[in-house]
Amino acid sequence: MSPRTWRNLKREFRRSALAKVGAVLFGGVVLVAVFAPLLAPHNPTAQHLDLEFLPPLGFSASRTVSTTQMVNGSVETVQNTTFVAASPSYPLGTNGLGQGVLSRVIYGARTSLVVGLLGVLVAAVIGVPVGLTAGFYGGNVDDALMRAADVMLAFPSLVLAVSLVGLFGTATIEVPDPWVALGLAPNMPPTFTIPGTVVLVVGLVNWVWLARIARGEALTVSEEEYVKAARSIGASDVHVVRKHVFPNALTPILVLATTQVAAIILLESSLSFLGFSGTTLSWGFNIQNGQSYLAEAWWVATFSGIGIVLAVMSVNFLGDWFRDALDPGVEGEGGV
Amino acid sequence: MSDDLLRVRGLSTRFFTEEGQVNAVEDVSFTVRDGEVFGIVGESGSGKSVTALSLLDLVESPGRITDGEIWYRNPELADEYSGEFVDGDFVDVVRLPKRARRALRGPSFSMIFQDPMTSMDPSVTVGEQIAEAVEVQRRASANPRSTRSRTQGYGLGSLLLDSVVPTREYVSDESWARAVSLLEDVGIPDAKDRAREYPHEFSGGMLQRAMVAQALAGEPDLLVADEPTTALDVTIQAQILDLLREIQDERDTSIVLITHNLGVIARMADRIGVMYAGEVVERGTLADIFDDHVHPYTRGLVESVPDLDDPDARLDPIEGSVPSLLDAEMDDRCYFADRCPKAMEECLEDPAEFDAGDGGEHTAKCYLADREYDESRALADGHFDEEVGDGE
Repeated sequence: MSPRTWRNLKREFRRSALAKVGAVLFGGVVLVAVFAPLLAPHNPTAQHLDLEFLPPLGFSASRTVSTTQMVNGSVETVQNTTFVAASPSYPLGTNGLGQGVLSRVIYGARTSLVVGLLGVLVAAVIGVPVGLTAGFYGGNVDDALMRAADVMLAFPSLVLAVSLVGLFGTATIEVPDPWVALGLAPNMPPTFTIPGTVVLVVGLVNWVWLARIARGEALTVSEEEYVKAARSIGASDVHVVRKHVFPNALTPILVLATTQVAAIILLESSLSFLGFSGTTLSWGFNIQNGQSYLAEAWWVATFSGIGIVLAVMSVNFLGDWFRDALDPGVEGEGGV
Repeated sequence: MSDDLLRVRGLSTRFFTEEGQVNAVEDVSFTVRDGEVFGIVGESGSGKSVTALSLLDLVESPGRITDGEIWYRNPELADEYSGEFVDGDFVDVVRLPKRARRALRGPSFSMIFQDPMTSMDPSVTVGEQIAEAVEVQRRASANPRSTRSRTQGYGLGSLLLDSVVPTREYVSDESWARAVSLLEDVGIPDAKDRAREYPHEFSGGMLQRAMVAQALAGEPDLLVADEPTTALDVTIQAQILDLLREIQDERDTSIVLITHNLGVIARMADRIGVMYAGEVVERGTLADIFDDHVHPYTRGLVESVPDLDDPDARLDPIEGSVPSLLDAEMDDRCYFADRCPKAMEECLEDPAEFDAGDGGEHTAKCYLADREYDESRALADGHFDEEVGDGE
């Protein structure tokens, strides 16, 4: 990035409150995701059936247990209502398997972030070269590539994603957790599960958007005199695209890629909510898990929902910041 | 007399647009000799720039060279190929494979563009852009037959590595050093430091010098300069022209200088081609064009320049404007006839290229080169207006 880009980013950051909120929130999500094993009070996958549905701190819950007893020769159902108190070691309560909600929300941040970033990477690796090629060559190449992209757009993304996951199955990649490997978090899961299929699928669903913007930019940049000048010194097409078209088309692509992270986090949550995930340590999975108990144990689903909202919001604020700082079209808006 | 370097014969470049076929360059022929400056002069839209781009095969879709030959003297290239498009030491580059044509850009032909501010990539330092031109040639010549040289070091592996490590340098230290020395050659002070600056930190004149350095990186036989001074201040213009002259003298580089500015042409060119509506209407030596011109268009051009010795003289502008180059609207006639004060009935037929001088190289596409003006055959003043009226 050029010094000017930095200057614009800094100036817009000073000016925009939302940019600051976004940066702080996103920084928080990243920290939580990276240090999850050190921050989580409990192993998020360990089950304690005696500790099911503990309420979050500051709340209490009553639980009605029905038992059948013989009373005076007849069978009667007796309802015993017991009072359940919150436990200080489970600040956000527990779910139906006695797993700490806080620990699960913390680990969920990891999955969301990893899928969001890797997903956008997959989308960019496919979309950006396709878009740059289409925009640079134009004509028939452009038509062929972009019509193919349009076909992808015709499918609703969730339907497409679900069918693709159904097609590929849910392959996962187990990555050793460095903190556990270093012995700093002995009770935590030794590996972290990256839902590989989900990463691929969210990338396959979203590459079209990046391809379209890359194509549009490449189309404009290719018209520039300096592209012709680069060709006049004998540079190959690959060279011209890599060294002159791509860097000058990069800004809008980056802005879009940022907002795509948010879209992908949402898509990942939807997929794991529907059960197409491959990992249980996901906000979407937690919500799905908690939705049947919303009346009795609202906290199981709610805190993961808040996690999604904060993560998506923070990324969108970042996207707005980048857009306002880097896109010359909206530069004047804040009154320079 | 020096030898021919480039013989352009019957070159036609057309654009196939949605409005129809545009004949931007039509049957253009000229010769460029070793170490000379060949000037192409004409109004906007006369096809000068497209001619320049055609020489380097840089015409972009929907444009295409549809006809003609560009014979280029290069014994090594001639040895490498055989066939109809090789004639002694000359090779017709139009018929060369695409890849071989690209390989000529840099070491054989290179180009200086009109506006240095838009012809330099704003996101790359000036030094790097010149070093890049050196590096491209270095890599291509390192191993001419390998695929790596065809893609200039862009194997899939290096492309990936390049994307992962964005700071990875494309140019080698030697290429950088060469770039700095080229910048010194074109007269940029503190070249070493300035090479690290971005184009927006340069003034227009300095940047045009850098463009010249970039064009020289491949040590070309022919430098095509497309309006190299038009975007510059008058004082800077002279400096750039001096620089081009210096290069031509020191390196014996031939230059094709394209401009609408007759002053520039008069100062620089050895021989001149005057273009109008995609055609070369008159060509000859500097003296032929300025003093012995035959074509009324050339006359119009020369007379529309103020004469310093006679500042009170009335300037004679050429009435009207350049005709449409749409194929559908062009009929076979002299395209200048509608603006020509001496149009005759025969001008409704396409004139041949007549010898306009003493059997030398002075030619003109005008019947006046062949016969005297005959007032009795003059076209009526409103002749072409009516014709347009009929069409509507």
